[in-house]
Amino acid sequence: MPVPSAGRDLARIVSINEEIKSIVAVAFKINIMALNAIFLAKRAGTTALGFGVLSNELRVFSQDLKTAMGGLSGVIHKAVTEVSVLLQDQRTLRLLQQAEAQSGGHARVREALRLRLEKMERHQLSLATQRRQLRQVLDNVAQLVELGGVLAKSAKIEAAYGQGFSASLGQVSGEFDGVVEEIRRSLGNLNKSEFFARR
Amino acid sequence: MKATHCFYQDGEHKWVAIVRDPARPECLIDTNEYLVVHNGAGLLMDPGGAEVFPAVFSALSAEFDPGALAGLFASHQDPDIISSLALWLEFNPRLPCYVSWLWASFIPHFGGSAETFVAIPDEGMEINLNGLTLQAVPAHYLHSSGNFHLYDAKARVFFSGDVGAALLPPKSDPLFVENFDAHIRHAEAFHRRWMGSNEAKRAWCERVSRLSIDMLCPQHGAIYQGADVERFINWFDGLRVGIAAG
Repeated sequence: MPVPSAGRDLARIVSINEEIKSIVAVAFKINIMALNAIFLAKRAGTTALGFGVLSNELRVFSQDLKTAMGGLSGVIHKAVTEVSVLLQDQRTLRLLQQAEAQSGGHARVREALRLRLEKMERHQLSLATQRRQLRQVLDNVAQLVELGGVLAKSAKIEAAYGQGFSASLGQVSGEFDGVVEEIRRSLGNLNKSEFFARR
Repeated sequence: MKATHCFYQDGEHKWVAIVRDPARPECLIDTNEYLVVHNGAGLLMDPGGAEVFPAVFSALSAEFDPGALAGLFASHQDPDIISSLALWLEFNPRLPCYVSWLWASFIPHFGGSAETFVAIPDEGMEINLNGLTLQAVPAHYLHSSGNFHLYDAKARVFFSGDVGAALLPPKSDPLFVENFDAHIRHAEAFHRRWMGSNEAKRAWCERVSRLSIDMLCPQHGAIYQGADVERFINWFDGLRVGIAAG
C-alpha cells in the first residue's frame, strides 16, 4: 500500500497556521484602526456620521474575524494532532512492512500490519474530516472578509463627504481597504494550500 | 537480516544471540539482542532500537515464535536498548517490560502504558520465566543511573548490558572474544567514558565475581567465555572510569 506523506501535510498545516496568525494580527490592527476612526468621526461631527457608523461596523467585523480565526486555530490544532498520529502510523507501518518482508510474511507480523492499517485508515478518515471542517471555516471567513471589503469601500465613499475632514477620513478608509485586501491575499494563500488538494 | 546463534542449550532451556546486521546503516551503533527461552516461553533482553526492529524481529522469528515472548527486559533507558518497544507491543499489547523503577515513567515515551512496565527495585529482583528463575542484578551507574544486568544461574550466563561492550572494527567482529588482549583495546575507551563511577564499578565487580559465570554477554561486541570472564572482571576492576578528555 502506498504510504502518503504525513510529513508534508504537517509542513503544510504549519504554514496554514502561520498564515492564520498573520490574519489574527491584521484583525487586531483593524480593531485599533476602527477605534481611532470612531474618535475621528466624532471630532468631525455630523459630516462624518455615516463614516462613524461604518467604523463601528468595521470594529465589529474585526472582532468577528478574530473569533472566526480562533475557531480556525482550533480546527488546525486538531489537524496537527491527527497528522502527527499519522506520522507515527507511517513509521510503524514502514518498520512492520520491513519486518514482514524480512521474516517471509510471518503471520503475526501480517496480523499486526492489518491492525495498524485499520488504525491508520481511521486516522486518515478523521484527518479528512478535519480537512473538510477547515475548508468550511475558511469559506465562512471568506464571506466575512467580503463583508469587511464592502464596509471599507463604503467608508471610502463616506470619507468623500467629510468636508474639512475628508482628507484624514480618506486616509483612514484607504488603510481599511488595504488591510482587508491583505486578509484577502492571506485567505487566497490558504485556499491554494496543497493540504486541501490531498484526498 | 541479523544472524541468530544459539550458544547455550539444555533441553528446553536455551540462550540465543541475535547479532551482526549486514544491512545496518553505519550511523546506527551495532547491538546484540539476547533471547532466553525456557519451556517454550522467551524473554528478550535489550530488544533494540526502532530502526533495527525489522532485522531483530525477522531473525528472532526464524528461531522462535514471537507470540511466545513472555516479556522484554531493558537494562536501561537508552534508545538503542528499548526504542522498539512500541513495535513489540504491536504484536502483544500485554507484553510486560522489566526495567529499573527509575525509568518506568521515562520509557513510556517510546510506547506502552502503565500496565506494560514491571519496575525493578534498586536491589534487583527475581524474574520467573516459565519455571526458570532469572536474577536482575544491580549495575547502577554502569552506565545508566538505573541499570540492571540479568543472571541465569542454571545456564551460568550473565547478560551484562553495556559492561563488557566493545566497539569492534567492521569485519573483525566474532561472536566470542578470541584474543582477550587484542579485544579489550576496543573496549577501553568505551568503558572509561561511559562508566560513570569507580565506586559503582568496584561494587559490581565484587558482586559479579561471586557468581558462577561461563559466559558474559554484552550488548555491543563479543561474548566473553571461560577464563575471559574473570579476565574481564579483573581488567574492569583495575580500570579508572568516569573520565572524559578535555
